[in-house]
Amino acid sequence: MNTVDYLASREDLVSPGISACQGCMAELSLRVLLKCLGRKTVLVVPPGCMAGAGVGGWNKSMGVKVPCAMPQLGNSASMLAGIKAAYDLVDPDVHCVAYAGDGGTADIGLQALSAAAERKDNIIYVCNDNEAYMNTGFQKSGTTPHGASTSTTPVGSLGRGKLNFKKDVPMMLAMQNAAYVATLSPSYMADFVAKVQRAAQIKDGLVYLHILNPCPTGWGCQGSRSIALGRAAVRSRYFLLYEYRDYRFEISAPTRAVREPLDVGEFIRGQKRFAHLAEADIDEIRRVVQQRWDKLSRLAAE
Amino acid sequence: MSMIDALTGNECVAEAVRLCRPDIIAAYPITPQSVVVELLASMVADGKLGSKVVDVESEHSSMSVVKGAAMLGKRVFTATAGQGLAYMYEPYFSMSTMRFPMVMTLACREMISPGTVWCGLQDALSVRDAGWMQVFCENNQEILDMVIQGYRIAEDHGVLIPINVCYDGFYLSHQTERVELPEPSEVDAYLPPIDLPQYLDVNEPAIVDPNTVGSFLIRYREDHLACMQHAKSVIADANREFAARFGRDWGGLLGSYRMEDADYVLVTMGATTGAARVAVDIMRERGLRMGLLKLRFMRPFPDAELADMLRGRRACAVIDRSVSFGWDRGVLSVELAAACGAHGVELPVLSFIGGLGGLDLRTEYVVRAAEMLADAPAYLKDGAYWMNEDFLGEELGK
Repeated sequence: MNTVDYLASREDLVSPGISACQGCMAELSLRVLLKCLGRKTVLVVPPGCMAGAGVGGWNKSMGVKVPCAMPQLGNSASMLAGIKAAYDLVDPDVHCVAYAGDGGTADIGLQALSAAAERKDNIIYVCNDNEAYMNTGFQKSGTTPHGASTSTTPVGSLGRGKLNFKKDVPMMLAMQNAAYVATLSPSYMADFVAKVQRAAQIKDGLVYLHILNPCPTGWGCQGSRSIALGRAAVRSRYFLLYEYRDYRFEISAPTRAVREPLDVGEFIRGQKRFAHLAEADIDEIRRVVQQRWDKLSRLAAE
Repeated sequence: MSMIDALTGNECVAEAVRLCRPDIIAAYPITPQSVVVELLASMVADGKLGSKVVDVESEHSSMSVVKGAAMLGKRVFTATAGQGLAYMYEPYFSMSTMRFPMVMTLACREMISPGTVWCGLQDALSVRDAGWMQVFCENNQEILDMVIQGYRIAEDHGVLIPINVCYDGFYLSHQTERVELPEPSEVDAYLPPIDLPQYLDVNEPAIVDPNTVGSFLIRYREDHLACMQHAKSVIADANREFAARFGRDWGGLLGSYRMEDADYVLVTMGATTGAARVAVDIMRERGLRMGLLKLRFMRPFPDAELADMLRGRRACAVIDRSVSFGWDRGVLSVELAAACGAHGVELPVLSFIGGLGGLDLRTEYVVRAAEMLADAPAYLKDGAYWMNEDFLGEELGK
């Protein structure tokens, strides 16, 4: 069955009408994720865009059709580990899934996530990476890219946006030998669905799925462009699609298909958060994008 | 038939946990509690305890793990001390306000700074308003008994509030005492089978702990406070039945010693109570009618019970192993004053602070405090007397 037919055949477990922004890819990614995993799923959603958009419900009704617990910002992985430990006594086949933002993952939740990976807790931890704390007003996170203007790395007479580079969480989890690591983009749905399906089959440890979800509100672009932006991120190699399992990296088809990468400038242009960047700044980003690609290529060739 | 053994306080915790058989344990080692975590791991490794152990990387995670497991109605356990409790504060508060019952033992430790790992009750007392019940133990037998009673009290459907079983770090955690160890079957007969609310059922989806408007939240708090008050009778019942089955009556909310005709009352918590018993005996030998109240439960606070026990006495002296910043007194002294005020009991109260940072709260200090209590009008002052190394010299030279 092709991806379109498959998704059409699956039940949408996110209630209609949750209040995500126009063009929100985090909502689309969550819908597809839950379509693939099905009703035998327990969800943990910490404070962040999806909790703010109403996954936790409103007017005494639910935002999702699976049980959902709201942890604090930094303990999604540890609380989910406890839920999983308890579910192992009841029904080990229930998927225990966290859907956390990049702040709750790369920053305050990283320690608990790393420990769960070390313990080989069989949970599915999904990072909705929109590259800042978007729900609360665009504050910088560990995955905010170099140069981006955020409300805590503002551009001013001295400020030039975020000075440092993005924290590479999926690579960290791979280096820790998590059971399965994959990067996903909602702009490449067949690849996305295949990775979630594979994640659902993993029974020997922690699954880490890292989704780059373009955020029109936070990135400063039209909502109609988010799918195209996700595609540009992959085609420019700004965001690399790959999988990791058993000490093996495999570059995914959409990234493998990029023979002549799009200039990173094409991805950056038109996003308000990068509007202040000079060509030299973009060169710096180009250099890091190239280094990351070289590194992944070497890892995948091993 | 109980077995008699020689055990440290930490060993008593582990033995009691073995007898209570929690489904899931997550704990992170910290001085002076570490032995608890080590022993539980050994019991599981040796097949003596069937609990699932989740070996976490921090106290924030230990409480988060057991909170997640509690969502499915499982019996859970953790233990910590001092800085670990501080690090755990976020899920700690959430555990109680989610009304997930559990036992967490605290090998009480002074709070940093300055740097310290030694005894003090400051860690537990600093979080007394975080929604948990807190009981303080005088000796190792009481630690063991209160872990067992703790599950019964916390899991009572009219309570459903977690409990801290607190004991003085090092003084009890590392000291060996004679302990009677009940048989598993005896504990099984005392503890009802686990029957706790269960959430996160995939067949009945629901949201757990969403953002909640104030008009709902205030009702949760009303209920929490009401159940905390109801817990007082559950604590009394649990104590009564425990005494009937095991022959040890700890007194429920409050313990007392030679109080029948006492004019003067020493008030203590935790291990200091032992020295206070000696002081009372010494003062009695001198012909003074002195008694002792041992505050066992800081939460729920036995305000009426304490006030009733103090009504008509000539004076009391409170010995604290903690401070209440902003008051020139220790925590128990402040709480006792509030209880007396609320229940119309007026009597002179002397406040003493000692034993901080592992400092020995020597029997001589407590005896001296008892002597000052016997001459209370001469020693009344705002604020506390400090049982530091100058205490005896200065006061004796007065």
